[in-house]
Amino acid sequence: MMTPRECFHAAMNHEQPDRLLIDMGKHIGSIHRQAYVALREHLGDDSMVNEKKILDRMAQTVVPDESLLQRFDIDFRWILPNWVQVTERDDVPGYVDMWGVPYKAAGNWDHCVVDGAPLREATVDNINDFQWPDPQDPEQFRGLREKAKPLFENTDYVIGADAIKAGVFMNALQMRGYDQFFMDLVIDKPFAEALMDKILATLKEMWSRYMEEVGPYVQIVYLTDDLGSQSSLLISPKLFREMLKPRIKELHDHIKSLADVKLMFHTDGAVLPLIDDFLDMNVDILNPVQTSVTGLEDTLALNEKYGDRLCFHGAIDVQQMLPNATTEELEQEIACRIYDLGRNGGYILAPCHNIGHDIPPENVVTLFEKARQLGRDPAGLKSLVETGTSYFRRQ
Amino acid sequence: MRFVALWASLIDWEKLMSINDELYDAIVFGERETVVEIVQKAVENNEDVIELLNVTMIPALREVGEQFSTGEVFVPEMLVSARAMQGGIDIIEPLLAKSGHKPLAKVCIGSVKGDLHDIGKNLVAIMLKGSGFEVDDIGVDCQIDDFDAAVERGAQVVCLSALLSTTRDAMRPVADHFSDRDEVKVIVGGAVITQEFADEIGADGFGLDASDAVRVVRDCLGLDAATA
Repeated sequence: MMTPRECFHAAMNHEQPDRLLIDMGKHIGSIHRQAYVALREHLGDDSMVNEKKILDRMAQTVVPDESLLQRFDIDFRWILPNWVQVTERDDVPGYVDMWGVPYKAAGNWDHCVVDGAPLREATVDNINDFQWPDPQDPEQFRGLREKAKPLFENTDYVIGADAIKAGVFMNALQMRGYDQFFMDLVIDKPFAEALMDKILATLKEMWSRYMEEVGPYVQIVYLTDDLGSQSSLLISPKLFREMLKPRIKELHDHIKSLADVKLMFHTDGAVLPLIDDFLDMNVDILNPVQTSVTGLEDTLALNEKYGDRLCFHGAIDVQQMLPNATTEELEQEIACRIYDLGRNGGYILAPCHNIGHDIPPENVVTLFEKARQLGRDPAGLKSLVETGTSYFRRQ
Repeated sequence: MRFVALWASLIDWEKLMSINDELYDAIVFGERETVVEIVQKAVENNEDVIELLNVTMIPALREVGEQFSTGEVFVPEMLVSARAMQGGIDIIEPLLAKSGHKPLAKVCIGSVKGDLHDIGKNLVAIMLKGSGFEVDDIGVDCQIDDFDAAVERGAQVVCLSALLSTTRDAMRPVADHFSDRDEVKVIVGGAVITQEFADEIGADGFGLDASDAVRVVRDCLGLDAATA
């Protein structure tokens, strides 16, 4: 039987491994702390103790317990960069991240929302005067080599380097203010370019140090940004290619020059029009394949068009399907995505986003159990795909 | 000839002839300096600013909203057009107030119980404002009290936005809260909202996107459908 790491190498070469790869437990792919408690109660599993071990402060997701990862037979183990240069706010419950972006807690720390833009009034002339994060902070990656090396040497899991928040575009939007930066891209290009160049330079330096620590031990790296909305792109393809693509590509190329890794790129939204661009940007794996948005519903067509060149991670919708599907609908949905994307390698099944507390714990358990069961024979799922009850066809 | 006569009778020639094409295009293409220049000149020439607003400016932004809905333009272009229009509004606002011109209605808009990204809500607010409504944007992480206060301040329509399914359910108590007040309309929208959900919670309307939101608000207030 192939190990997870062997399966990963096969899948990434578009060769069929003997088991479906399943992932959970990273940034934009873990469980909200309230959902975690509900899951523990549902499972009656006292070994799940990590509801206060926060993975992502904004989304209030947890670092899952090893026992849960083993229970769900998860093939990946993620190395998480340390949260550094974060200051707690004393005006409201919340914090300021290393980029100077303030967040305030919503709903008693249910999650946090961006609450200001530190560079709203900045100009090209004073942008460097801002207190940029220190890319040489020894705390940012301290202890990560000590975590990654034993995982690599003593286990067969796929070891991943989780994202440094946030991406080039997302940081620019948050630091400048969403409305203002969207406009800058069109009416103040010198500022938009200066801002993104500074973010890019900072991220490149951080990734250099990150890969120094964990590069030899990881097989996959995760980068995040958001380029789409529910039904469209946020900016036009032309503007994307002019302003964002060269910079994000530069970051990707830099990381790939540092370590022999597959690069997984996250973008929410209806990004089908940009997939050829992602291939130009040396993206190996597209995440999350949000099946509830325009253009990404048909994963069969997606795989037919791109499956020989691109791998896919995700495709299990948490926005509408996972909270609401019956057991039968969920089983059919899992079968569909495995059948569509997983018959020639190239697919890692995962929830599209974090598992929120609107998702019944029964569905969480069904997801991982059924994925493992159905993933044994993707080609054999044809009849279930054709005859089962589809959640999305219910709409 | 009969066709031509019929067609001619259908066209509102007065309206057609009074569209200021240059101003219209400047808004559509987001040229703020041009908008400011044209509007300033119009004011200096004592032109009818209410007509300028209703016949040229609002329809121009409506076209941008429609282009946004069909994917011809995207968020940056929409914001830049709204910014250009605001340049003109800033000049004529004092005159509108002096002439007794009133907004179509006052609406409040807020994200329920917090949301991670509020760009969609902001685009709706821009379109409503650009369509002649007075908009009270009460932000994110809004509680029932916040919507109550906005209604106390004169909002006739409460627009609720939710991006995440974890926050969508927070719309239900807001809709319930206003359900016995016929004079307050509740409109919902956002990435996870459907007509089905809107009906389920008793909302008065559901908007698909920023442009559609304007139509829905007009509908629930019994205003005629806007025409160019």
